[in-house]
Amino acid sequence: MNSRVLDIIKGIDDIPTLPSVAMEVMDLTRSAEVSIREISECIHKDPALAMRVLRMANSSFYRRGSKEIDTIHRAILMMGLNEVVNIATSVSVLSILNPKNDERESLRRKLCNHCIATALIARYMDKKIHLRAQGREFVGGLLHDIGKIIFDEYFHDRFLEAHELSIRKDCPMFEAEKEVIGATHMDVGSFLAQKWKLPPYLADIILNHHNPADAQLKDITALISIANLLAKAREISCGGDTISFVLKDQGAWLILKKLGHPMDTLDLERITFEMEDIGQEVQKYISTVLDQPSEGNADG
Amino acid sequence: MADFLDPVASQMSDETFLLLRDLIYEHSGIYFSDNKKAQLENRLSLRLKANNLPDYDKYYYMLKYDPQASRELKALFDSVTTNETSFFRSPPQIQAFQEKALPEIIQHRLEKGEKVLRLWSAGCSTGDEPYTMGIILKEVLKDRLSEWDVKIYASDISEKALKSARASTYNEYTLRSVPPEIKKNYFIQNGPLFTVCDEIRSLVELQYLNFNDAKRVKLMRGFDIIFCRNVLIYFDDAAKKNFVAQLYDNLNPGGYLFIGHSESLHNISRAFKLVHFPGALGYKKE
Repeated sequence: MNSRVLDIIKGIDDIPTLPSVAMEVMDLTRSAEVSIREISECIHKDPALAMRVLRMANSSFYRRGSKEIDTIHRAILMMGLNEVVNIATSVSVLSILNPKNDERESLRRKLCNHCIATALIARYMDKKIHLRAQGREFVGGLLHDIGKIIFDEYFHDRFLEAHELSIRKDCPMFEAEKEVIGATHMDVGSFLAQKWKLPPYLADIILNHHNPADAQLKDITALISIANLLAKAREISCGGDTISFVLKDQGAWLILKKLGHPMDTLDLERITFEMEDIGQEVQKYISTVLDQPSEGNADG
Repeated sequence: MADFLDPVASQMSDETFLLLRDLIYEHSGIYFSDNKKAQLENRLSLRLKANNLPDYDKYYYMLKYDPQASRELKALFDSVTTNETSFFRSPPQIQAFQEKALPEIIQHRLEKGEKVLRLWSAGCSTGDEPYTMGIILKEVLKDRLSEWDVKIYASDISEKALKSARASTYNEYTLRSVPPEIKKNYFIQNGPLFTVCDEIRSLVELQYLNFNDAKRVKLMRGFDIIFCRNVLIYFDDAAKKNFVAQLYDNLNPGGYLFIGHSESLHNISRAFKLVHFPGALGYKKE
């Protein structure tokens, strides 16, 4: 990455941060001996966060049984510690992704919708191929383009310029970013993930989602790479390049196949048709986390 | 007051919708996404009445377990297929054709030094589709169109439909998805009716063709792009496999097949490469 860009980012005082409790939860999970009680008490320190996690755990996105989950403690017992921590991270990240002044057609709105769509599709694909990523695919999907949020916030004009360049040249955004800004959203995003002290696998996913062969966590990164494409194929994207692709020829696809996942048994047409409602799912996700009435769909 | 005594059409539960959706997809390759539930319910309400069944659950069980179900499946497919056709139908597919498939093939042809394009609208109905293809060819090639040897074959089994296609005159409703400047440039308005201009008409060759006539279908060779939308539903599985294998042979290497917007070849053919376009799928022969 261009060191000047890095210097500028380092120098930004008001760079977004995750809520302190979310950071604390993340810190706690680093220890192998963390108890359910510790995590649960930590999340409850931020009542708004706790409420959002519970709302999510009881929503159609996660709920399994018919019994309501009324405490974080119960959520952890029923869903597992990892899934609850991932939900806490996801709802914290969303408050950063979601634009403050909501213009329906703004690039930022499209970016946010794209990140959520990628997360939802990654979660869906995780179930399809039984990867059992336990929510890491969701958080990774949500964060994969976080670097673009930084560009949009602090390098807005140049980011728009890069966006236009990628349309004009029909090239990937990261190439245009490199040319106009001097760094890619992968570089900046993974830097931010480290700064936020997110688990290292997230910086890995963010850095390598366009080239999962280089990732440490190849399977989940490949899955997110595919989800990213499928979200774009549903036109929930902010990239300038008009996309067309053969999924079975993608590096990410071949990696998952090589790792022994049942890629050849998937009905890709049906998976694609099932994505048709993803725009509404994105809206539903936003309104569930933020407890707002849902409005329309996110297509486009 | 008689209405009051009629059995009130039952509501389709979400569970039954999912069961019916899977069954229809398995047998026809047509997928009803969640937002099409009302549409499916509406279409099937007539089948419920015809079979004198009180609710969709019973209808599902009949389809699933009745030995006579194959006959009802045919009737079901007829009721879920829209016989409707219009210009620029399924815009994402048209866009994939205009912005991706066609430029790719034109480029390929130019590299080989052959300015020849062969397109086929298989099951062209009243002509909306082949004329749409013609308009897009003109939009893409512009003034260079005259330098190219272009033919759009358009076939159908209905003489009545072909007659309408020959007249090439349409009402406002059929043109509802057509952008205003396209309407202005390619149609001649006569009161409430619009006729396709001669330049586009001359690109299209209409003909009668029965897809069961294997010999004649085989003769349709050397195509760059085939549109065969919402046709396959009328075949059983074996016939579908044969016909799609034939369509594959009918294409040039690098050519594309477009089927209906929510149709699938998953269980029918593995010969093609499935290509994702924004909001649409295409099948490519390599």
